[in-house]
Amino acid sequence: MERPIPMRARSPIKVCFVTVGATASFHELLQTILQEDFLQVLRRFGYTNLLIQYGKDGKSVWDAFERQYPPHTGCRNGLLVEGFDFNPDGLDEEMRMARSNLSKGHDGGLIISHAGSGSILGAMRLGVPLVVVPNSTLKDNHQQELADELQSQGYVIASSCQNLSAAIGRGERLRAQMLAWPPVCAVSQRRQRSLQEVMSDELGFLD
Amino acid sequence: MDSWISWAGLFWVAAFAMVAGISTIIIAMHALAKSQNSQVPKWRPKNSPIHLLVVLGSGGHTAEMFSMLRRMKLDPSKYTYRTYLVSSGDNFSAAKAVEFETAYINKVAKASAAAAAADAEKKDEQRSTGAYTIVTVPRARRVHQSFLTAPFSTIQSFWSCLLVLRGLHPDQRPLTAPIRSPYPDIILTNGPATAVCVILAARLLRLCHAFCAVLTFRRRAGTQTGSETNAPDFQLRTIFVESWARVTTLSLSGKLLLPFADRFLVQWPALEGKKAWPGMRETEYAGTLVD
Repeated sequence: MERPIPMRARSPIKVCFVTVGATASFHELLQTILQEDFLQVLRRFGYTNLLIQYGKDGKSVWDAFERQYPPHTGCRNGLLVEGFDFNPDGLDEEMRMARSNLSKGHDGGLIISHAGSGSILGAMRLGVPLVVVPNSTLKDNHQQELADELQSQGYVIASSCQNLSAAIGRGERLRAQMLAWPPVCAVSQRRQRSLQEVMSDELGFLD
Repeated sequence: MDSWISWAGLFWVAAFAMVAGISTIIIAMHALAKSQNSQVPKWRPKNSPIHLLVVLGSGGHTAEMFSMLRRMKLDPSKYTYRTYLVSSGDNFSAAKAVEFETAYINKVAKASAAAAAADAEKKDEQRSTGAYTIVTVPRARRVHQSFLTAPFSTIQSFWSCLLVLRGLHPDQRPLTAPIRSPYPDIILTNGPATAVCVILAARLLRLCHAFCAVLTFRRRAGTQTGSETNAPDFQLRTIFVESWARVTTLSLSGKLLLPFADRFLVQWPALEGKKAWPGMRETEYAGTLVD
């Protein structure tokens, strides 16, 4: 479970993908994941790649990291760290890299995301363990509620920036018992009218 | 100057104005509540083409909307004409709409065409999947725009929404044969700021129709007693789906539109049963609608 995975000569690729979204800046999350001790934790859990979508405003944080820890100097704990600002075509391609894919030698990875609904849905649809980090600086903080609710239902892990290292281990546990998204309606559940039916009601079709 | 008369007069005028004002508000609220609780009678033939208007918003709202449309398996042979309304400068939503139309709708259309071809008898039933337009309206308030100028840009945005609903917006082409009315049959939104303008505009148009119907009915009262159910009464129906990201509190647009939308769906149980004021329709819990 939380036992560190021993390093092997030819270990499979294991990707941790971090996304901060397109609209709001989230420097706190970027700074957390680019600290050396966080990279160490990732390495301990067998991650080989860290891919970061840092957003339009995140370039400064990324550049500072590049200066402080230049690639190929060994200070990145053997992790391949890459970053890009934004992908206008959506992030599905990047999220898919964190999915387990034996033919490509990809081990099941992890997605760390801001609490935007688009990113959360995208990751849950792919079935990759997801750590949701609500942005505490946003004024109307309904993101925290969504993250907590989804955590209590067992779909994601909600975490703050401070506890992100611990969330990596919890991500491994989530992988073992992940629920499929979207939820299937349980038999006991009261049956609700679907969107299709509500639209038909309002259109007033003849029977 | 005998001031006591004017003071008494002033008092009566004020009292009258207050009573008139309060009763107007009560009547308006009652009318709104009544109209909101009205059900649409079954009047539309099964295969009639539908014009669907989808209001898109920034990033998350748009992603959720297409997620819902995919999950409900939007049938392009039923909703034959689709209008997507985006705010100016929102290229993401427009791109997503094009992507949805090319990837999803075309796939569904091909599948149904193949099914129809295999079943030769049903060939006449095979209908075109229609078309779509993307309409851009100005934003009510841009980020960092002064609050002084915001009312004017809101009016501009509202006017633009009215034009869209009447099919007169410059981005729109005249509708083709199967759909006769310029008004969309149904409006679907999940809570971006533009939705407030669109739903209020739809309510205003319906109110105008109701007034016109009353006037023309009086004029024609002696001459004809035709069927009461004319189409415009049951068009411009509005469905508001509260964003999936809202777990325990309604969004601002949700709070504003709770009295005005015909159906108000919520996706989390904590929001079920909220209403704007007594006598109004409650929010409906619909479960998770996104995928």
